Amino acid sequence: MATNSSSEDLTLPGGWRGKAPMLLAVGLICVLLSAGMCYFVGGEENRSVGFSAFLHSYLANFIFCLSICLGGLFFVMIQHVARAAWSATIRRVAELLAYMIPWWLLLFLPILAMVWWTDSPALYPWNAGSGNVSAIVEKKLDYLNPFWFTIRVFVYFAVWVLCARYFFGMSRKQDETGDASITLKCQKWAGPGIIFTALATNFGAFDIMMSTDPEWFSTIYGVYLFAASMLSFFAMMIVSCYALQRAGRLQRQVNTEHFHDLAKFQFGFIVFWAYIAFSQFLLYWYGNIPEETQWYQDRMNHGWQYVGLVLIAGHFAIPFLGTMARKVRRSRPLMAFWGVFILVMHWVDMMFVLLPTDEIHFSGLLLIGHLVGWIGMVSVFLGLLIYRTGDTPLVAQRDPWIPDALAYQVGP
Amino acid sequence: MSEHQPKQKKIRPPRSFGWMAEYEDENQLLDAARKVRDAGYSRIDAFTPFPVHGIDEALNIRRTRLPWFSLVAGMTGTTVALLLQWWTNAFDYPYIISGKPYASWPAFIPVTFELTVLFAAFMTVFAMLGLNGLPKFNNPVFTDPKFDRATDDRFFLWVDSRDQYFNAEKVRELLEATGAKAVEEVWEDDSPTEVPKSIYAGIAVLILITLIPGAIVLNMRNSRSPYPRWHIFFDMDFQPSRKAQQPTTIFADGRVQRPPVPGTVARGELGPNDPFLLGYDPEGVAMGKGAAVNVQMVSYQQENSASQEPIEEPPAPPPPQPDTSAADDPQASATADASSEQAGEAPSKPAGDQAPTTAEDEGDAGAGPAAEGEPNYAWLERFPLPVDAELIEVGRREFEQNCAACHGLAGYGDGLVSRRATELAQGYWLQPTSLHEQRIIDQPVGRIYYTITHGKGKMAPYADALTPRERWAVVAYVRVLQRSQNARPEDVPADADLASARGDDTTNR
Repeated sequence: MATNSSSEDLTLPGGWRGKAPMLLAVGLICVLLSAGMCYFVGGEENRSVGFSAFLHSYLANFIFCLSICLGGLFFVMIQHVARAAWSATIRRVAELLAYMIPWWLLLFLPILAMVWWTDSPALYPWNAGSGNVSAIVEKKLDYLNPFWFTIRVFVYFAVWVLCARYFFGMSRKQDETGDASITLKCQKWAGPGIIFTALATNFGAFDIMMSTDPEWFSTIYGVYLFAASMLSFFAMMIVSCYALQRAGRLQRQVNTEHFHDLAKFQFGFIVFWAYIAFSQFLLYWYGNIPEETQWYQDRMNHGWQYVGLVLIAGHFAIPFLGTMARKVRRSRPLMAFWGVFILVMHWVDMMFVLLPTDEIHFSGLLLIGHLVGWIGMVSVFLGLLIYRTGDTPLVAQRDPWIPDALAYQVGP
Repeated sequence: MSEHQPKQKKIRPPRSFGWMAEYEDENQLLDAARKVRDAGYSRIDAFTPFPVHGIDEALNIRRTRLPWFSLVAGMTGTTVALLLQWWTNAFDYPYIISGKPYASWPAFIPVTFELTVLFAAFMTVFAMLGLNGLPKFNNPVFTDPKFDRATDDRFFLWVDSRDQYFNAEKVRELLEATGAKAVEEVWEDDSPTEVPKSIYAGIAVLILITLIPGAIVLNMRNSRSPYPRWHIFFDMDFQPSRKAQQPTTIFADGRVQRPPVPGTVARGELGPNDPFLLGYDPEGVAMGKGAAVNVQMVSYQQENSASQEPIEEPPAPPPPQPDTSAADDPQASATADASSEQAGEAPSKPAGDQAPTTAEDEGDAGAGPAAEGEPNYAWLERFPLPVDAELIEVGRREFEQNCAACHGLAGYGDGLVSRRATELAQGYWLQPTSLHEQRIIDQPVGRIYYTITHGKGKMAPYADALTPRERWAVVAYVRVLQRSQNARPEDVPADADLASARGDDTTNR
């Protein structure tokens, strides 16, 4: 059962690598185009919300990509801590996704610069500073101020980058040495890694996402991001493996059982996302306290309510029923379709979570601008992923779990 | 008892139930299972200490139907939960809970979720037991003492003798060829099939024990005792709750019944002294005030309509008109001024609305004896409820059903009854009051409401025929008639769209 990988090509297809510069160029053009479109979204007569709309749109698309990478990071560490054998053949793809996080810090720098050098409340209302914010936010300024915000963002990214770098680096080292003790080391550090990454993700969600509405708070917000991250990661994983197999890679390494397991995870996280999303909604809806319902008030008016209904159907009901059957989960093309579907819904979810404010109302132009921005961000994401992968083999060939993963089988 | 019955024990040779092979690891088992499967046997099974990946395929086990049971039960749970909550809360016994709609779907979801999971889980467990033929008291494989190691470190493959192609010798050879550590025939359990008597005895004792508490309770209920009774739940037997009219120590005033919070009105609980029911403000008389807008009214209006306009009289006579009438009638003018000063509110309103609250006795020439004297109340000058097109439509309907027979469809006092009586030339017939007489136009709305409620002269009281809201609706319609029958060309706005202006102008302004 040992790998005789010398004859197999386990690197990215050459045709893909050539597309990276084009993807990056298209991505940057689309993001600029999106900025232009969002700028004309308009608003009240004396105040354009265009700039604010673009920043929210940028952040939503940014989080869309970052969350997939965070999901990958969690997945890698969970596989190590659980000593999972089945996933050894697909773990490298997750490691590559996770190791893209340093790029996302780069793409967050524009927002940090805005926070640091201006007092524009366009994205983070607390950025206006003392005297220019509401009484509630005034009390939170000790925490929400440019200095501490920047420090915290760097701490979160430091945790993510360190974890991603460690597990990717160890796995690459094992490619060369074949040292089984590296796997033991990874298993040892995966536990603490999960704890720190979970904390960083939780508070990162509070700082980067939730503080766009600083009067509002939800303690489950970080878990919500975690659920969305894992779900979109599994969808991305299924789509990536399917695309790589279509291109002639990973034919032997990823079998129907792997797809089935990824699909089961995706199914589970569809329900988990719905559970978390509905819990958050129900508690605030039931509590009916003005300070807590404001966030939903913005999202249940001005056209956003239809986006919410789309989420109930598209993020939960339809994929829940659609991927319930075993036959569907074991069909690679069908699961690739559902993976793309979930990724689109994840984009709608991030739009619903991050775009609506009392000023930014739903409109066709905003939707198109946001969509163009998404296409741009996804192009950048894919371009960077190809750059990141480079010559790296797509399978950790000398991982001691590989024979088990290759022989992985559950049932007929 | 049974030992006295001569019980003939059937003697028969123990039956063979099949062959069992023992293996040391799961890979041997898997290989063996595939071989046996490929040899054509289908009634085969494996026993392992832990789940073995691929064993389903190796044993050629059919896909289970269990998920369908779970799915159907789950959907049943969803449906039952939603129907249950909708039926109880929105249909059979509509009940408002914390201000939510009767059918409040977000609030239904947790119960729906729980029932879905509960139904699906129960069905999954019971269907699993049923599909496996469980519970089963015994299985012949247990006769082999080696088989106990199936829960520890041994793997067993078993071929049932009921298999279509079963042949004891061939099966044995086949199993031995798979490299089994041991191959043995499984015999029927020859232990006695009767249930040991000790079990019956034990069950009987348990039943007797369960009867003891009931016996104690029965004894206590039918006997007397010098000791006070036990109170297991003391605070449930002695609750601080009291019946109506009893004293209590919980509240400072010592009363059990709580007075309503000042300024509030319970739903559907307008007090008998409410201006809405009376047409005047009973406190307004005592304080010498005009119709003050009562706090109760405000809350009533707020809960009725969020979008309501300031309540004004819909069909206010055109501003110039009351001025001239007031000039014609100094007395009315004087009282109108006085009352508007007293009322101290809405000074910008047309004087015609500030109708005299006193001096009603100068009219009513033929309207009967007015034995009790003209009431002198602080009449409501504004409608105590929002006036909209719907209310006026109610007013029109009720007016035409109840009032038009005498007062006429347009309110000139020329209804069918009146015309008939006049035709019969009955000298004692007095024409009903025309609602377009100036003194009626000048009456505050509360006064007209009072007349409808209590009747006047020959006119019967309509309190029994019309609800308070319907009476106010009729008042509103009377105002509409007065406004429309006495309109002037100047009343029509220059840019009026005549079709729609009618609706707007008669309802809100």
